Amino acid sequence: MGQGSPGGMNKQGLPGERKHDDKKEKKFEPAAPPSRVGRKQRKQKGPEAAARLPTVTPLTKCKLRLLKLERIKDYLLMEEEFVSGQERLKPQEDKNEEDRSKVDDLRGSPMSVGNLEELIDENHAIVSSSVGPEYYVGILSFVDKDQLEPGCAILMHNKVLSVVGLLQDEVDPMVSVMKVEKAPLESYADIGGLDAQIQEIKEAVELPLTHPELYEDIGIKPPKGVILYGEPGTGKTLLAKAVANSTSATFLRVVGSELIQKYLGDGPKLVRELFRVADDLSPSIVFIDEIDAVGTKRYDAHSGGEREIQRTMLELLNQLDGFDSRGDVKVILATNRIESLDPALLRPGRIDRKIEFPLPDIKTRRRIFQIHTSRMTLADDVNLEEFVMTKDEFSGADIKAICTEAGLLALRERRMKVTHADFKKAKEKVMFKKKEGVPEGLYM
Amino acid sequence: MAQDPNQSTNSEQASVKVPSKDPKKKKDEKKDEDLSDEDLALKQQLELYVERVQDSDPGVQKLALESMRQEIRTSTSSMTSVPKPLKFLRPHYGTLKAYYEAMADTDLKKYLADILSVLALTMSAEGERESLKYRLLGSEGDIGSWGHEYVRNLAGEISQEYTKRQIDETPIDDLMELVQQIVAFHVKHNAEPEAVDLLMEVEDLDMLIDHIDSTNYKRTCLYLTSFASYLPSPDDMLVLEIAFAIYTKFEEHTSALCVALRMDNSHYVRQVFVCCSDLLKKKQLCYILAQQGVTLELDDELIHGNEEQREILQEIMNNAKLSEGYLTLARDIEVMEPKSPDDIYKVHLIDGRASAGASVDSARQNLAATFVNAFVNAGFGQDKLMTVPSESSSGGSTGSWLFKNKEHGKASAAASLGLIHLWEVDAGLAQIDKYFHSNDNHVIAGALLAVGIVNCGIRNECDPAYALLADYVTKDDSSIRIGAIMGLGIAYAGTQKVEVLRLLAPILIDLKVPIDVIAFTALSLGLIYVGSCHDDIAQSIILALMERSESELGEPLARFLSLGLGLLYLGKQENVDATVEVAKTFNEKISRYCQATLMSCAFAGTGNVLKVQSLLGLCAEHLDKGEIHQGPAVLGYALVAMAEELGLEMGIRSLEHLLQYGEQNIRRAVPLALGLLCISNPKVNVMDTLSRLSHDSDSEVAMAATISLGLIGAGTNNARIAGMLRNLSSYYYKDASLLFCVRIAQGLVHLGKGLLTLAPYHSDRFLLSPSAAAGLITFLHACLDMKSIILGKYHYVLYYLVLAMQPRMLTTVDENLKPISVPVRVGQAVDVVGQAGRPKTITGFQTHSTPVLLSAGDRAELATEKAGQVNPGPTPP
Repeated sequence: MGQGSPGGMNKQGLPGERKHDDKKEKKFEPAAPPSRVGRKQRKQKGPEAAARLPTVTPLTKCKLRLLKLERIKDYLLMEEEFVSGQERLKPQEDKNEEDRSKVDDLRGSPMSVGNLEELIDENHAIVSSSVGPEYYVGILSFVDKDQLEPGCAILMHNKVLSVVGLLQDEVDPMVSVMKVEKAPLESYADIGGLDAQIQEIKEAVELPLTHPELYEDIGIKPPKGVILYGEPGTGKTLLAKAVANSTSATFLRVVGSELIQKYLGDGPKLVRELFRVADDLSPSIVFIDEIDAVGTKRYDAHSGGEREIQRTMLELLNQLDGFDSRGDVKVILATNRIESLDPALLRPGRIDRKIEFPLPDIKTRRRIFQIHTSRMTLADDVNLEEFVMTKDEFSGADIKAICTEAGLLALRERRMKVTHADFKKAKEKVMFKKKEGVPEGLYM
Repeated sequence: MAQDPNQSTNSEQASVKVPSKDPKKKKDEKKDEDLSDEDLALKQQLELYVERVQDSDPGVQKLALESMRQEIRTSTSSMTSVPKPLKFLRPHYGTLKAYYEAMADTDLKKYLADILSVLALTMSAEGERESLKYRLLGSEGDIGSWGHEYVRNLAGEISQEYTKRQIDETPIDDLMELVQQIVAFHVKHNAEPEAVDLLMEVEDLDMLIDHIDSTNYKRTCLYLTSFASYLPSPDDMLVLEIAFAIYTKFEEHTSALCVALRMDNSHYVRQVFVCCSDLLKKKQLCYILAQQGVTLELDDELIHGNEEQREILQEIMNNAKLSEGYLTLARDIEVMEPKSPDDIYKVHLIDGRASAGASVDSARQNLAATFVNAFVNAGFGQDKLMTVPSESSSGGSTGSWLFKNKEHGKASAAASLGLIHLWEVDAGLAQIDKYFHSNDNHVIAGALLAVGIVNCGIRNECDPAYALLADYVTKDDSSIRIGAIMGLGIAYAGTQKVEVLRLLAPILIDLKVPIDVIAFTALSLGLIYVGSCHDDIAQSIILALMERSESELGEPLARFLSLGLGLLYLGKQENVDATVEVAKTFNEKISRYCQATLMSCAFAGTGNVLKVQSLLGLCAEHLDKGEIHQGPAVLGYALVAMAEELGLEMGIRSLEHLLQYGEQNIRRAVPLALGLLCISNPKVNVMDTLSRLSHDSDSEVAMAATISLGLIGAGTNNARIAGMLRNLSSYYYKDASLLFCVRIAQGLVHLGKGLLTLAPYHSDRFLLSPSAAAGLITFLHACLDMKSIILGKYHYVLYYLVLAMQPRMLTTVDENLKPISVPVRVGQAVDVVGQAGRPKTITGFQTHSTPVLLSAGDRAELATEKAGQVNPGPTPP
């Protein structure tokens, strides 16, 4: 089956052989062996890695840095000049186009997708397609053999089934979903109060990404991550959204429960993948909501499921402060049960800052009411001060519920304005649900 | 919220000072609802001050100004936002300004000017420099009391103002006074880089010397010296001069000497010696000079008439101890055992087919083995091919390996003896001596070359090399002549020895001399007078280039004539211009090649971006067949760019483009340029590129890439490169030429069993050794035409690499120059320029005891501060 395919490779005649082969006919010479076979190389960030500019060392703003950056600019300008000059003289694109079409011809069409079962030698492998048996086939010379590994998805010629290409899934689709493509609408202005918290998160997450020199000036390492904790409804997720809104860094968000997977090892793998993607796309911010889903204290686990969850957490621990240093990746965790989290997760070095979100005090309550009522049409008799000054404990979410409820009550009565009475009623309703929302018949 | 500590203090102050304000506050509350109570209080407070400042009573005014000043000074805030008092005073900036103009000239006015100056920090429009204006009008109090940000802003405005005044030609005395203050402030607060920046802007670096003290001069000088690589031509010397002055002031003689050498200023070098009174330090200085290959006439002024001292210092400077130290190192890490080429090839690690190497002509193979043997055992004084048979005293087998080589191969074989005895003058000459009596001209030529190699970098009072070689220069046989001339060139590289000039100069202008002899003569003179801009030699070489016939200039070796000319101007920048003009009139065969060579040599190691651009411009042309000047242009690109780390990395980047777009002649030079950029520094990305190119379909590209693999791994024993080369050797087992290159590369990787380096930069990449650079350039130019030079009968040009060989060791000696063992920390060097505090200079270190090996990017520091040792001995980059 596959024996026919190496014939195609004769076109790639081998260097150095030409002059010394006296025979007219070129003898077949196998291509150079790959430097290594088997496991895939750690992703070689491809052309981006080559294009990456050297780092300029004094991070402090000083003239040396300016000069160094100017030097880099000079070199880049020269490169540009050279390349554009060359393009004018000898357009590379046509040549590339030609090469590409030649490769396409060799690949044949249509191609089929298969699975690489085993690499036999440099140029032959056993493959299987989705239907039917396994085949012993050749690998075409233009396939990057360093990237082949048993089990990867490959493109196969439709007739001779030789390997003509490699399907690379760059990123686990699970992770790519986590990337926040569209910034959320909530901004810092939508947060009532929480000034200290905003400042802390700015210092710990945004500043290290935008102004690393400030930290170098002082001579400290910026914090790696923060944990936001506090009662439900105090604005942890809201603050994270505001961070995502204001930053230009890549923002990846996960919910703790997403990290729990059906199969053994999938959870830790996902965590690894997540941080790898974050590293590739750095600077980036990883936000893990409801971290208590995976981050609870370790204890003797009885079921495999629990053990798996603990392993996921261990992977998370390693990613947060393990052997490989995370460069420009900042982590935000959020939970409302910080006391149940594993102490290893919270140690300084992993999570350097713990930011508490308390229930709003009077001033904050006023701000929150203002934010929520600013777009409502209120009757003149509404006196929000009454609710602000109340002794009941509200969270931010409760206040929002009151406002919404009041609005609904007004709608029900077909009024165009929300009155004070509506607010009163709404407040009572919300408070009732909050305190006695649990039916009494249930044993707690 | 807003729990800033400062705000609580502010509110305290408010309540203490003006309790009467409280009722008013209630009223305003509705309006400023989003301000917290404390903020509000502060705001009103400030408003009140503003009102009172405009009061007629000077007492009230003074009080108000005083307290306003207090508020501003005590406020600290998050680093991102504007301090609150400033924020609240913003609306009043205009009124205060207006009032200031109307104010009578009193102390109070100055007071107000101070405050306005601070307010202008946030208020004044871009480019108006109001902060500076009011500062100059103000009371000239302590500048630091307003905080760092203020000083920084002021510094920025000063530099703008300075340029403006320069254009208007107005006096700058008042500015300079302020600059004084700011510099003093910065220096006191660990912000030396900023002080230096400001002084650079106002072009008055001299002021720095007065402000620097013994605690911070190191950091300042480090900053200054790293500046030097990035400044355009006259400025960099200025900066270095300041660094030199500071180092001298604080008696840091070794660093001062490095700076003086970097400036290439022999007067300063002398000055360092005169200043230094400590004998131990002088010894250290001599070590540095020896490594740079600079000679200094030790006259009475320098040594105070102490004859014994003079001898010791001279010996150090002559590198006489180099071999001893090297062998100590070798014994210490137990690599004295000689290695044979087969130990290097490691044939058993290659699968199957390589053993079928029968098709290779064995002379070529033997020649390769000769070179590999020489490279691997360089400097050890013993090996398994050349020296062993002589010990076994069975007369017939003496030199038996020698005679396994054909004709000119024998020259290389005999010369390899010199490499094996590198730096070991006495023992080496004894070994070589017997070949002088051979009746084979090639053997004699090789022996002559060997004498030169043995003496490479070593100077000796009785000049054995000159004494032995001088007679042979005028012999009839051209191979003997070449051997002698080349030997002289290698032995006296960089010494500017006049006797050799007198000996060789007549050859250059003798029209009867064949082109190859004259080529090597030019090259030798270029090496001996490297970077000297010696006019007479230049004239003779130019004459030779003009008078030779076109066919002779078409010879591959003719390139050495222009190279010799180029070496004369190595690193001398503009001094080359006149010669370049002359070169334009040469025969067209050589003219452009000569121009490119001259330019690349003259600007080697300067990082001059304009030259890089023009060389790149040369490479951008598409030429007809036969033009060869793009090769040196590519090499020149690498030579100029390798001056500093950034240029190096960017150079590697751009070479990729050259590969993509270039014609064959450029593509052939690109691997060599990569090899030059990363010499003895196996960077993984370069390694991958070269590995790819070593399978290129153009055999010359593949050869160059193979050799370059050897160069980047030279003396590192890098297992990865060794593996690649083994694979290549089995891949090219049928191709004799390529296999020869692979073998040479293998030899280079294991150069001196991993104890040597080829990197021409040393002392923290700060100094470029000219003779080492010259040796490398010569080798690379030879590689540009691999087929006719290295693979032809001039393979002994490989020995030019000897010039660049340096042990990559760190040894320590006690006051009697006996090696002693001292613990040192060795780790990867960290760039600490401009960092705050006292950061670690190395990372991931391990503690060893000397002597130790250092590889590229490593740095060592003494683990213990013991008295008695002054400084490490010969140090690699």
